[in-house]
Amino acid sequence: MSKLRKYTPFTRAGIMESVTYRANFLFFLLGEIMKCFVMFFVWKAVFDSSSGETLFGFSYDNMVVYLFISFLSGYITYSDGSYAIGKEILDGSVVMRMIKPIDFDMCFLFQELGNKIISFSLIFLPITAGVEIYRFVINGRLMLDIPMLLLFLVSMVLAYGINFYFNLSYGFLAFFLKNLWGTDIIKGAVVDFLSGATIPLAFMGGFGYVLQFLPFASLSYTPVMIYMGMYGAKKIIFYLGLQVFWLVIFALISKLVLKLAMKRLVVHGG
Amino acid sequence: MRKYFKLHRIFIAQDLKKLMEYKVDFLMGAIGFVLVQAVKILTLGIIFASIPALAYKVNGQVVDSWTFNEVLFIYGFSLIPKGIDHLLFDNLWGMGYWVVAKGDFDKYLTRPVNSWFYVLTEKFCVDAFGDLFVGIVLVVYSVLSMPADIAANINWFRLIPVAFVIPFAVMIYTSVKTATAAISFWTKRSGHITHMCYMTNEFASYPAKIYNNVVKTIITYILPFALTAYYPAIYLLRGESVWSLPVTIGVSAVLFFISQLVWKLGEKAYESAGS
Repeated sequence: MSKLRKYTPFTRAGIMESVTYRANFLFFLLGEIMKCFVMFFVWKAVFDSSSGETLFGFSYDNMVVYLFISFLSGYITYSDGSYAIGKEILDGSVVMRMIKPIDFDMCFLFQELGNKIISFSLIFLPITAGVEIYRFVINGRLMLDIPMLLLFLVSMVLAYGINFYFNLSYGFLAFFLKNLWGTDIIKGAVVDFLSGATIPLAFMGGFGYVLQFLPFASLSYTPVMIYMGMYGAKKIIFYLGLQVFWLVIFALISKLVLKLAMKRLVVHGG
Repeated sequence: MRKYFKLHRIFIAQDLKKLMEYKVDFLMGAIGFVLVQAVKILTLGIIFASIPALAYKVNGQVVDSWTFNEVLFIYGFSLIPKGIDHLLFDNLWGMGYWVVAKGDFDKYLTRPVNSWFYVLTEKFCVDAFGDLFVGIVLVVYSVLSMPADIAANINWFRLIPVAFVIPFAVMIYTSVKTATAAISFWTKRSGHITHMCYMTNEFASYPAKIYNNVVKTIITYILPFALTAYYPAIYLLRGESVWSLPVTIGVSAVLFFISQLVWKLGEKAYESAGS
């Protein structure tokens, strides 16, 4: 525990940073959530056009919940370590971190946790409350399931961990590619699609079935399906186990890549 | 005026030189933008695989519907004015994010040209070729693969008024960015406000009829991105919404005027960072 204590100042810095820019954060969020509202209407037209009540096991109400909860989990589990690290590598300021007696990844993790505490407290309640009110109005009864909500939170924490280490590994690519902006956009697009953030994996047939087992599904699809109550007890245990598995794998990969990258690091001046 | 055109050409030439130097950067950026669009189109394709056409219903009656090709056409068309603005006037984003906050705006004030014009044209953003490429490919592809009965509705003479309206559609994007970027003269940072308003363009890529009245009013008159995409596209396809063409010109002129006013007022309120 005392080993971790030296990282708490990073968390405090992260909190302070987020509090300072919380108005910016909210405007940014309003811009991003616009996509959900666009799809809200598009899906309505899609369900209107379809002959059945459901598509691939999703009713329209399910779809609305899916849209907003996957937005929420995407936001909370988002990690921009790849960009931050890449930038430090390119401009050389990374040496300032390396000469300190602390772990490279841990100080990023703890600083981002500080950001997460603030963004979580700002958006979790409004979005879940909105979704639950919507479900209440549609179904005439309260649909919120407290144990599922808790499992959802556990799954989101795991998803964040996977995302963090995945991004860390990806950030080290900056060594080889020397380009951040483009590679980051490419990553975002591919991960969004493969993780089910743009459309439920259930819509993709056999390909979607395979995707469920890949690490991307653990980033977004798993927590959202748990929240919606689409998974039974057995499936929940299986997919949470899978998340832990991917978390361990990516933590190991990032350690390995860090070692390799540090050997190649050349900083001019400083 | 001639001076300004010449300046713009010089700026573009500078950025093209940069492009030759950093080919990988360009390639990555362009591939990124193409991929973002590819994912969205793939999503649309998956959705449309399970329905015959996108229908708009009132009380269970189908009022209007759009085939996959028509939706692709509207979507592709929306990328063209957006891409042109992105290509030529991307530099405005920097204003709200860091230029004013760091006091870098001083530079623009000391030059003997209009400050807005200078900021606007300083950067030529080649990433936008990704957007433009996808937009043009989608428009062409959707027309070529269209069922004959829908293609028969297209009168290619309508292309003339539509091409005439496109610069005004671009001006809608640029004016929204200008007005919101100018807020930073008072607040130091306003990039996130620009982002919020800009993202409203997401609504423009789909048939405007599917939205409720609040959204429809916003995207037609307040942040009028529907005028940049759905209305000209549907006019080209079916000859519907002829009214939208003069409205586009009028609304974009009003927006342009407002954005210039905000910019001028803001410039007076600007204080340097003092470093």
